Amino acid sequence: MKLLEYQAKQLLTESGVPVPEGRLVERLSDLDRISFPAMLKAQIPVGGRGKAGVVKFAATRTEAESIAGDLLGADIKGFSVTTLLAEAAVDILKELYVCCLNDKECNRPMFMVSREGGVDIEQLAKTSPEKIVRRHIDPLVGLMEYDIRALASELGIARDRRFAAVAKGLWAILRHQDATLVEINPLAVTDTGVTALDGKIILDDNAEFRAGVRRAELKAHQRERIRIQKSEPERLAETYDIAYVLMDGDIGIIADGAGTGMLTLDLVKDLGGNPANFCEMGGKAAAEAAEQAMEIVLSNPNVKSLLISLIGGLTRMDRVAEGIDAYLKRHGCPAPISVRMCGTKAEAGCRILSAHGIEATADLLTAAKAAVHYGGK
Amino acid sequence: MAIFIDRDTRILVQGITGNVGRFQTRIMKDYGSGIVAGVTPGKGGQVVDGTPVYDSVEDAVREHDINAAISFVPAPSAKNAAFEILAAGIPFLVLTTEGIPENDIINIVRHAELTDGRVLGPDTPGLISPGRCKLGVHPHEMFREGPVGIVSKSGSLSYEVARVLTGAGIGQSSVVGIGGGPIWGTTHEDVLREFENDPETKAVVLLGEVGGKLEHRAAAFIESHMTKPVVAMIVGRSAPEGARMGHAGAIVEGEAGTAASKLNALAQAGARTATTSHEIVNILKEIGV
Repeated sequence: MKLLEYQAKQLLTESGVPVPEGRLVERLSDLDRISFPAMLKAQIPVGGRGKAGVVKFAATRTEAESIAGDLLGADIKGFSVTTLLAEAAVDILKELYVCCLNDKECNRPMFMVSREGGVDIEQLAKTSPEKIVRRHIDPLVGLMEYDIRALASELGIARDRRFAAVAKGLWAILRHQDATLVEINPLAVTDTGVTALDGKIILDDNAEFRAGVRRAELKAHQRERIRIQKSEPERLAETYDIAYVLMDGDIGIIADGAGTGMLTLDLVKDLGGNPANFCEMGGKAAAEAAEQAMEIVLSNPNVKSLLISLIGGLTRMDRVAEGIDAYLKRHGCPAPISVRMCGTKAEAGCRILSAHGIEATADLLTAAKAAVHYGGK
Repeated sequence: MAIFIDRDTRILVQGITGNVGRFQTRIMKDYGSGIVAGVTPGKGGQVVDGTPVYDSVEDAVREHDINAAISFVPAPSAKNAAFEILAAGIPFLVLTTEGIPENDIINIVRHAELTDGRVLGPDTPGLISPGRCKLGVHPHEMFREGPVGIVSKSGSLSYEVARVLTGAGIGQSSVVGIGGGPIWGTTHEDVLREFENDPETKAVVLLGEVGGKLEHRAAAFIESHMTKPVVAMIVGRSAPEGARMGHAGAIVEGEAGTAASKLNALAQAGARTATTSHEIVNILKEIGV
């Protein structure tokens, strides 16, 4: 779960990281309680807000009213803006970059820091990778005082109380609140020490079972504030917790594994077809997941041909076929269905499908060719 | 010999009394795998299909000489269970569990380093040496003994390719699933090293997917260390940027994560690349396997 900036700032504050004073603005009257000059920032869960023109400086109340009037309700990158964060403007001496995450290359948590903050860090990594310094932390030892000193020295700043609070706060959020990314860009150097001007936190969805009420609160707030234009299949996929990626073609795809799902997608494309989606049922109860996957994929009106790609490792094919059968009995299917089915209990599965006139094949390429034939090409 | 496991591997099953653990243990046993003990806290003294169950790994290793383990423990308890295996000195752990928090995986892998253990996974179907031993959940009728080693992130993709190979008369020495990521206890590179040193493996099929840089590291290893032929297939060539393609690690973020860049690196390193299982068969036949 990616937090909105104001939520990230709440977590940072709770963990001792200095941030500018801020208030939420949902309507123009909320501006009454804000002192100027201030920064006004749209609370939408996307990067590059500065470039998108939704982070603005307001010198006066009048300016702020005009900015807030424009931003509130505006549609930006697929999101409708419901909330702004107004923060006291800060005199910036210098902008730094600080980030704490797990390095997948060597399976260690690490800090990534740079003296050149405030920029697109991926761009910087490409053009001047030497300007980003990585420091790995042993997860079984934790963040030590010498790490904090080394980080301050890399950033060219003093190891004062405020910087120590930043380093410790980032570490605590990564390790003890189960974040997978905690990033401050920029971390501003001011007369009074460092301050987090922006905050990006991604929480690990897999750690929800131990996250407690705080995370439930953050989630509830997101439901209130994030207005996203989602398509029907995407909405259903979220409800059913099934992996689904909407694409712009007309061949619907359902697979029972991520790897074979991607292979099927590639094959369809190579054969000249256009996939309407990627959909992997995952390790849930097979019959139920199959029925839900059918509902998700067929709720996309563009689907003219349906390709079901099943290999039957952990999943029993007779159960999957029962799910497909249940869906077809209830709703029917406007598109021709091509099925590749093999593995555990495949014979029984094929028998169930043949009652609907579906002749499953064990060869993926054969099924993919049939699906492309039925699609728009 | 096969890699990591063989006929004489003595296996402990963690979570043996759960639905999946019980079901898969029976299938592994029928296949001929040497399952010697199971562990579920609080269920010590029970017997599951002839396999004695212990309360703790410590108890099990006191009674049996164990050199490999497979865990079916659910994500919330997976870290504790894995630590227990490693602390007891068992050198090889297959971690099938999906959805373990990132911090826990990081800790498990670090703990494995300190105890000289190897963790395969998480989120892996395990591995199979056809005809000898299965330490995983593979639909084993799709596999048969032979000279080709397969290493794959995705379980389903390794089944698919092995099935087509078997159909074409090409058997496998070992088929290893390393898991869907984004953190791996064992990488393509680690498995390639084992295949390179395994006298029975004549050629290797490397199966990868979009996201991360694992395949680039494999390419570097192929270039510098592999003498055996490698055929590579990377799926997700048509994956849109930023979308999560089923696996936690399968997200294209930046150029290095794309299938094109991985295929390019592997080809540069001397691997042959393929786009379908049938093409893999043709290449293997061409190089005389």
